[in-house]
Amino acid sequence: MKISGSYTLPLPIERAYAVMQDPAVLGRAIPGCEGLEKTGPDEYRMKMKMALASLSGAFEGKVRITDQAPPSSFRLVVEGTGRVGFVKGDGLLKLATVDGGTEVSYEGDAQVGGTMAAVGQRLIDGTAKMMIKKFFDRLAQEANAQDATE
Amino acid sequence: MFPQTFDYTAPTTLDEAVKLLGGGAKALAGGMSLIPMMKLRLASPEHLVDLGRIKELNYIREESGALHIGATATHYAVESSPLVRTKCPLLAETAAAIGDVQVRNMGTLGGAVAHADPSADYPAALQALEAKIVLRGAGGDRTVSAAEFFVDAFTTVLNEGEMVREVIVPVDTSGVSYQKVPQPASGFAMVGIAARVKKAGGKVTEARIGVTGLTNSSFRATAAEKALEGTNGSAADIQKAAALVAQGSDANSDIHASADYRKHLAVVYTGRALIAAMGRAQ
Amino acid sequence: MATTITKTETLVGKRIRRREDPRLITGTATYVEDIQMPGMHYAAIVRSPHAAANIRSIDVKAAAAAPGVVAVFTGKDTEKVGPVPCGASLPDLRVPHHHIMAIDRVYYVGHAVAVVVATDRYLARDAADLLEIDYDVLPAVADPEKALAPGAPAVHPQWPDNTAFNYHQEGGDIAKAFADADVVVKQRITSQRLVPNAMETRGVVAEWRGADRQLNLYTSTQVPHLVRTLVAGMLGLEENRMRVIAPEVGGGFGSKLNIYAEEALMGFVAMKIGKPVKWIESRRENFLTTIHGRGHVDYYEVAAKKDGTILGIKLKIIQDLGAYHQLLTPAIPTLSVLMMPGLYKTKNVSADIVGVFTNCVPTDAYRGAGRPEATHGIERMVDILADELGMDPAEIRLKNFVANEEFPYPTATGLTYDSGNYAAPLDKAMALADYSKILQEQVEARKQGKLVGIGISTYGEICAIGPSPATPAGGWESATVKIEPSGTVTVMTGTCQTGQGEETTFAQIAADELGVDIDNILVLRGDTSIVQYGIGTFGSRATAIGGTALYFALQELKAKVKLFGAMLLESDDVTFSGGQVTCNKSGKTKGLAEIAGATYRAMKLPPNTEPGLVATHFWEPPNFTFPFGAHIVITDIDKETGDIAIRRYIAVDDCGNIINPLIVDGQVHGGVAQGLGQALWEQAVYDDNGQLITGEFMDYAMPRAHMMPWIESSHTITPTNVNPLGVKGVGEAGTIGCSPAVVNSVVDALSHLGVRHIDMPLTPEKIWKLANAGGTN
Repeated sequence: MKISGSYTLPLPIERAYAVMQDPAVLGRAIPGCEGLEKTGPDEYRMKMKMALASLSGAFEGKVRITDQAPPSSFRLVVEGTGRVGFVKGDGLLKLATVDGGTEVSYEGDAQVGGTMAAVGQRLIDGTAKMMIKKFFDRLAQEANAQDATE
Repeated sequence: MFPQTFDYTAPTTLDEAVKLLGGGAKALAGGMSLIPMMKLRLASPEHLVDLGRIKELNYIREESGALHIGATATHYAVESSPLVRTKCPLLAETAAAIGDVQVRNMGTLGGAVAHADPSADYPAALQALEAKIVLRGAGGDRTVSAAEFFVDAFTTVLNEGEMVREVIVPVDTSGVSYQKVPQPASGFAMVGIAARVKKAGGKVTEARIGVTGLTNSSFRATAAEKALEGTNGSAADIQKAAALVAQGSDANSDIHASADYRKHLAVVYTGRALIAAMGRAQ
Repeated sequence: MATTITKTETLVGKRIRRREDPRLITGTATYVEDIQMPGMHYAAIVRSPHAAANIRSIDVKAAAAAPGVVAVFTGKDTEKVGPVPCGASLPDLRVPHHHIMAIDRVYYVGHAVAVVVATDRYLARDAADLLEIDYDVLPAVADPEKALAPGAPAVHPQWPDNTAFNYHQEGGDIAKAFADADVVVKQRITSQRLVPNAMETRGVVAEWRGADRQLNLYTSTQVPHLVRTLVAGMLGLEENRMRVIAPEVGGGFGSKLNIYAEEALMGFVAMKIGKPVKWIESRRENFLTTIHGRGHVDYYEVAAKKDGTILGIKLKIIQDLGAYHQLLTPAIPTLSVLMMPGLYKTKNVSADIVGVFTNCVPTDAYRGAGRPEATHGIERMVDILADELGMDPAEIRLKNFVANEEFPYPTATGLTYDSGNYAAPLDKAMALADYSKILQEQVEARKQGKLVGIGISTYGEICAIGPSPATPAGGWESATVKIEPSGTVTVMTGTCQTGQGEETTFAQIAADELGVDIDNILVLRGDTSIVQYGIGTFGSRATAIGGTALYFALQELKAKVKLFGAMLLESDDVTFSGGQVTCNKSGKTKGLAEIAGATYRAMKLPPNTEPGLVATHFWEPPNFTFPFGAHIVITDIDKETGDIAIRRYIAVDDCGNIINPLIVDGQVHGGVAQGLGQALWEQAVYDDNGQLITGEFMDYAMPRAHMMPWIESSHTITPTNVNPLGVKGVGEAGTIGCSPAVVNSVVDALSHLGVRHIDMPLTPEKIWKLANAGGTN
C-alpha cells in the first residue's frame, strides 16, 4: 500500500533533521517501540508492543536509516515481525522550511503480512494514518521537551 | 482458530468487575469482535472478565427525560425495546442495521461503543443524538459526551481499567433516519449516516448528522447541520447541506471503496437520510 | 424377517424431498471433524507468512519441548513423501517438484513449513507459535501478467520466464475467417480468482494400525478412490493397505477434487507416531491453501459478417496457475478452449494458452472449471459484436446457433455436441421476460435518466466428464447393487456426493427399476473398503455417468431376480415388475424378499447361476453431454451510487431428462448464487507482495441469502442419446449461465453511455464511475 502525507514540526530544519536521526527520540516516537538497540551504523534492533483495539502483539523489529542528505531528506525503513504477522514501512522523508517550522513530507510503501493482512484489510489504511500521526505527534512532543530542558 | 490460554472470571457485580479490570484484565461483553480476534491470536488477553452476568449492567430505562441503557444491553434488546423504539427511534433503527441476527443477539451496546470500530453503526447515532457515555473506573463514574469519547480508530478516552457503564440518550421527538452502505463481506458500514431533524413553523430548527465509516472516527457533520438549520428543508436545501458532509475529512480507503467514493456515498446517503428524517419530522 | 415391499408409483421425474437432508440440517451428520478415536492426536501446521522466501533455518527445540507435543516435523523430515501429484499432461509442461512441505524455500503465503503434533489441539496450536523460522524474504509476483513481464521475480528460479506451458489449438481456417470479415471486435476480459469456500473446510484423520499394516484415512474429498491410489503412492504404501473414507462432505465445488499435501502428511504423521492424528483446516487456512478457481486474463477477437454471422474466434488465455500444479491445474484452461465456440456454428477458431506461475496458491477446478470462463468470454463477445453491428443480442444469437438438424454437431475444437435445441430455452426465457415489452420500458427509462439493463446469456457446457480418453484418471463410473437376503437394497456408487442429493436421485432410479419402496434402498458411497473402485463426483457427471452405471447394474440384477423368480415359480414365462416376478400363465407371484431369501439360502439354483443377488457395472460413456440454456437478467442501476438491483432473474436450463426437479432446481439456484458471487462480489485479491488481502469473510464477499434475487427457474427438455437415462448433468449450469447474463445486463444498462465491457466483480464503485463518466474499465 502506498502511503504519503506531510506533517509540520515546530522546529528549524537542522533541528528537525537531527531529532529524527536520534535513536533515543525515534525509540520513544515509534508507536509501541520499547527502545532501540544499535546493531550497526544507522541500524537498530527494537522490541515493539502493538496494542490497537483488541489486537495486541509483540514484534521484533528493525529500524534502518539510509540515503541521508542532511538536512533535506533521508529514508527510514521500519520492520516488525511477530506471531500475528509482519509490518514493514519504507519511506522517503523530505524536509523543507515553512512558516512555523519544518514540513516533513513522506512517501513510501507500507506492507502488512500474515494473519493481520487477511483480517485487517479495511483497517490498514486508517491504522497506518493513525500510527504515522502518532509518530509525528510524539516527535514534536519530544523535540519540545528537549528544547524545554535545554 | 484456537485462542491462547486465558483466565476467565464472570463476576456478578460491577464493583468486582472494575476491580478485576484494574488488575489488567480485559472486558468481555458480547465478544463479537474480541473472540474472533482471539481465535486468530491477533488478540491474546491473559484474563477475561465476562460482564454478561452482571445484572446491574443490563437495563433500558427512562429517567428524567432520557433513556439510560446499560452496557450489556444487546443490539437486539435496543432494536426491539418498545421504550427505545418510541422514545429514541434513531437508536433502535441503528441497532437494527448492525451485522446480522446472530451478531445482534450477542453483541452489546457497551461493547460496540468501547471497541470504537471506525465502521461501527452505533457511533453515528450517538453523535447525532449527542449521547452521553458513563464510564466506570476505580475512582467511580465519569460522564463524557459521544463527541469527546470517540478519539480515533479503536481509540477512546477510556483509561486502563475503565469500562463503559451506560449510554444516555435523550428522549427524542425529531424526525430521524439511519442509512448505511454495508460493506459486502463484513456488513460493517462503509458509510453510515444518522440524521435528526426538528422543524417548527416550516423551518428546520435543529439538524444533527452523525457520520461513521468515512474516517478513522465517527463525527458530527456540523457544517452540514448549520447549512440546513433555518432553511425550509427543501430537497435543494438538503442537497446543499449534504454536499458539506465530507468536506475536509480524511476519508479511509480499501478494496471495497476508495476515499473519493466513500466521500461521495457520504454525501448521497446524508441526502437520503435527511430526506427520510425530514419526512418524519413534525 | 422377510419384508415384502412393492410399489407401483414411478419416482423418476418426481419432486421428492432429499432423503439426506434431515441429518444435514439438524447437524447430526458425521463429518471428518466428528470422527473420534481413543488416543487421538492433533496436528497444527505452521505456514509461511511470506509469498517468497528462502528458509535459512528452523529451530524446533522450543516447540518440541512444549507441553503435550509428541512430534515436530519439518519439510526435511517429509522430503521423501510425495510429490503432490499433477494429473494433467500437456506437451512440454514444466512441473515443479511439489513437496508436501517446503524444504528450503516457500512459494506462497500459507505454504506449509512444519507440523506440530500434540495430545490436544490447543497445545498443538500453542507449540506452533514456538517454532523459530528464519526467512530471507524474496521479491514475489502475484499477478500473471506482471509475472510474464521481463525482469519479473522468478517464482521458480529455474524458470525465469514464469511460464509453465504454452498451448495452441486451432480448427478451420482462422486466417481466412478474419480476412473475410466485415468487422472484428476485440476485448480483454478477465475472470478473477475466486475462493471455492465449501461450507466444510478440508480435514483429515489418519489412523495407522501397525500390526495390520493398515492406514485408514478419513478425508473430506470428492474422489476417495483417487486419494487412495495416489496418496498410497506418495507414502510408499501398497494401495491395498490403505482405506480412504470420505464421510459426510460439506461441499466441494471442485476444491475437493484434488490430492492435497495434508492428506499424505497426516498419513506420514500417523505412521510415525503410531497414533491417530486429526487435522481440521481452519477457514483461514482454507482461504490460503485450498485451491482457488478461475484466474484468467483473456484476449478475444471475433470476426463476423455485417449480418452478424460469426466467422471466427481468436483467444489468448493467460492462466494464473499459482506456484504449483495441483491435480488438474494446467488442464483447466484447456477446457475453456474446448468450450470457446459456445453454442455457435463457427468452425474457425484459434486459441493460445500461457500457463503462468505466480506466488499464489494454485488454481484448479472450481464449479464449472474452465467452462464459465469460456462462456463468459464468448457471451460477452457476442454482445459486443451485436453492439458493434447495432443488432439485437437475441437476434445475433439465434442467427449463429447450431441448428437442430445439425446434431450431432462436430465443433471446431474437436467435440461432438450430442443433442440440442438452442433456440428453445432462449425463446422461452424471452417469453417469460416479455422481451419486447422490457426493451420498450428500457427506452422510456432512459428518457427519464434511469438505468435499466437487459442481459442474455445462452450457454453451453461440457458435462458428464467424461470419456476416459479425455480425462487424466479414467472417465467411467461404477455401481454395485445388492439385494440383501431380507430383501433390502443397497446401492454402492463410485461417485462421492458432497451435497448434490444422489442419495435421493440414485434411490429413485433403483426404486423404479426394482419396483421397491424408496425407503427400502440405502445408497452408500465414499469408503474404498466398501465401494468398488470409482472415479468420483465432479464435472456434472454423477448422475449422467454414475447413474447410468447404476442403471446397467440394475438391469443385470433384474435379469438375475427374474431367473430366480422363474425358478421358484417353476415357469419360464415370467415378468418382473412392481417388485415381484409374476408367472404369466398362472398369475402366481414371488416377491423380491422371498426371491432374495431363496438366492442366498441357495437350496436350489437355476442352471449356470451363482447364489446371491449382486451386480456391479463399470460404465464408460461414449461422449460428454452438452447441456445448454438461456438466462435473462434485468437490472436496475442506481446512478447515484452504482448499486445494482436484479429485478428479474430468469433461468431456462436444458439438462436433458430430469430425475428429480426439486434437486435440479436446487442445483440451478446454488449455481446461480455462485455465478452471482463472481459477477458481483467475490474476488481473491493478492497484493503486490503476494499477501492474500481478502483472506477471511471480513473482506471476501460471499453471496448471502439476503443478497439473492428470486430465481425464476424453468426448463426445456432435450434428452441426450449418450446414456439411456437421457440425462445431461446440471451441477454447473447455473454458474456457467449466470455471470455473462449479469454482466451483459449491467453493460446494457450503461451501453448508451459508451460502456462496452466491465470486468468482474461489478462493484458499485466501478459502476458509479462508469455511469457518471462513460467508457470501459
